[in-house]
Amino acid sequence: MLSRKQREMYTAFAFIAPYLIGYLLFHFFPIFLSFIISVTDVRYISRIGDASFVGLRNYLELFSDTEFTNSVKNSLLFSIMYVPGVMLVGLVLAVLINKKLYARNLLRGMLFMPYVSNMVAVSVVWSLLMDPTGGVINNVLRSIGIDNPPMWLMSTKTSLVSVVIIAVWQGVGLQFVTFLAAFQNVPTELKEAAYIDGTNGFQNFIHVTLPCIRSQTFLLMITSVITSLKNYTIVQVLTEGGPGTSTTILPLNIVNTAFTSFRMGYACAQTVVMFVIVMAITVLQWSGRKRFED
Amino acid sequence: MIERYAKPKKIILTVIMLFLGIANIFPFIFMLSSSFKPLNQIFIYPIKLIPETFITENYKALFDDQYMFIRWYANTIVMVVTIILLKLFIVSITAYAFSKLHFPGREVLFLFLLSSMMIPPDAIIVPKYIIFKWLGITDTMWAVVLPSIFDVFFVFLLRQFFMSIPDSLSEAALIDGANHFMIYRKVVLPLSGPAITTMIMFTFIWAWNDYMNPYIFITSPEKQMISVGMKMFQINNSVDYGLLMAAATLVLVPVMIVFMFAQRYFVEGIATTGIKS
Repeated sequence: MLSRKQREMYTAFAFIAPYLIGYLLFHFFPIFLSFIISVTDVRYISRIGDASFVGLRNYLELFSDTEFTNSVKNSLLFSIMYVPGVMLVGLVLAVLINKKLYARNLLRGMLFMPYVSNMVAVSVVWSLLMDPTGGVINNVLRSIGIDNPPMWLMSTKTSLVSVVIIAVWQGVGLQFVTFLAAFQNVPTELKEAAYIDGTNGFQNFIHVTLPCIRSQTFLLMITSVITSLKNYTIVQVLTEGGPGTSTTILPLNIVNTAFTSFRMGYACAQTVVMFVIVMAITVLQWSGRKRFED
Repeated sequence: MIERYAKPKKIILTVIMLFLGIANIFPFIFMLSSSFKPLNQIFIYPIKLIPETFITENYKALFDDQYMFIRWYANTIVMVVTIILLKLFIVSITAYAFSKLHFPGREVLFLFLLSSMMIPPDAIIVPKYIIFKWLGITDTMWAVVLPSIFDVFFVFLLRQFFMSIPDSLSEAALIDGANHFMIYRKVVLPLSGPAITTMIMFTFIWAWNDYMNPYIFITSPEKQMISVGMKMFQINNSVDYGLLMAAATLVLVPVMIVFMFAQRYFVEGIATTGIKS
């Protein structure tokens, strides 16, 4: 006869088992496998038996591979533009919608809507809006007197910026709603005390609201950085990395290396580099957060 | 502080925000309007959002046999429903064990799960492909379904929610002779409506909009999902903009309907947890 405690333990294991097996197989094992494959020269899965151990050769090759270094550069540029953009727009929208308004739910819904929309469908529409000759955006720009409007997604100079603009439009719902929720936790007594001390709305925001939402802001920043680094779909559907390689970011380069050049081992080495970048940024931000909050 | 916001100020602010809101959803308005226009009217400037000649041919054409649109739609619905049903059961029962049952190593195991949240699933697409090849599930729906089910984030969310349900309820049921599966089924799940709904809503959106997984793992066009199908459709019909806009509208409609009725769950889901993206 099992004791109640033992019975509870076996029940727990039975409840967790399906999840744990799936988790290990589909999340943990692939991470582990990336490291292993990254030191081999696996090309096709069907001939995985022919693959051999190559040590750090894949990693050494990365340094002289301009396609790889270019994709890392593009990824970092993407993040440097995307993260401040999405945080700032999200903050401004949250401040505006937090004021006394009619139909607030409707307005919030309108601002949040792109976040739930299908990126492929949306990219088809944006490509049309940003069309250099017949698109609505350039027509508007020409009608207000700009004779040489940008080529947007079609030019190597503006393609990455254009993708970032669309990415911010699509992704800002997350930042917007998180800031809005954070505002509700700012104690009203603090704000009122500041008003009595004679501060105006803007000073109040800088000195009372912002410090109160510090920890949410940091978490949001980490999420935004990770999102921006892993973002594959938005670039793939908008530009497929082009024109040229002007928007080929790291995840795109990894997929191309694995499924177009058929170099799985080399692609996994790049995957490992991506883990390292994500980890490094996360750790850096966490230590920065501690220093900031002390 | 209320008197600081006089009525006129409130009206002006609302109007400004309404403009901002409409500008924000302009791509959707443009898409809907263009989908009912003949090709030669789409590029007219200044744009007329109400079509001069209102046509429905673009939509009719999509249902034509030469396109696989209906097929992709059906595939995606089957895939989304399968994910929701499996994930609902597996994630919630796991969250139950992590919140209501005591067993050695519970906290350590949970931390182990949380720590892997840092690595985004998209980053491990290549090793996943290798594993799916071994399992023989590439080019089947399961390659898209299986990785989505074992979600760490919602185990975390539901665990938090279940912990807020008082233990006295389940203890009373235990004394009455119920086992843990009955308590999970009859006590905890019925009390977790909002959390469960939030999970279903996000799962629906993510699965419906998923592009990368079907793009990498599914190769047969007739087994493809709507996102990738839409991309293939765009490549094959790149100049028929009216048709493309109608297709894009059809892809967006289910998501938009769900969003309109369940906006609250999305907003509150993010607000209470800072949901991952």
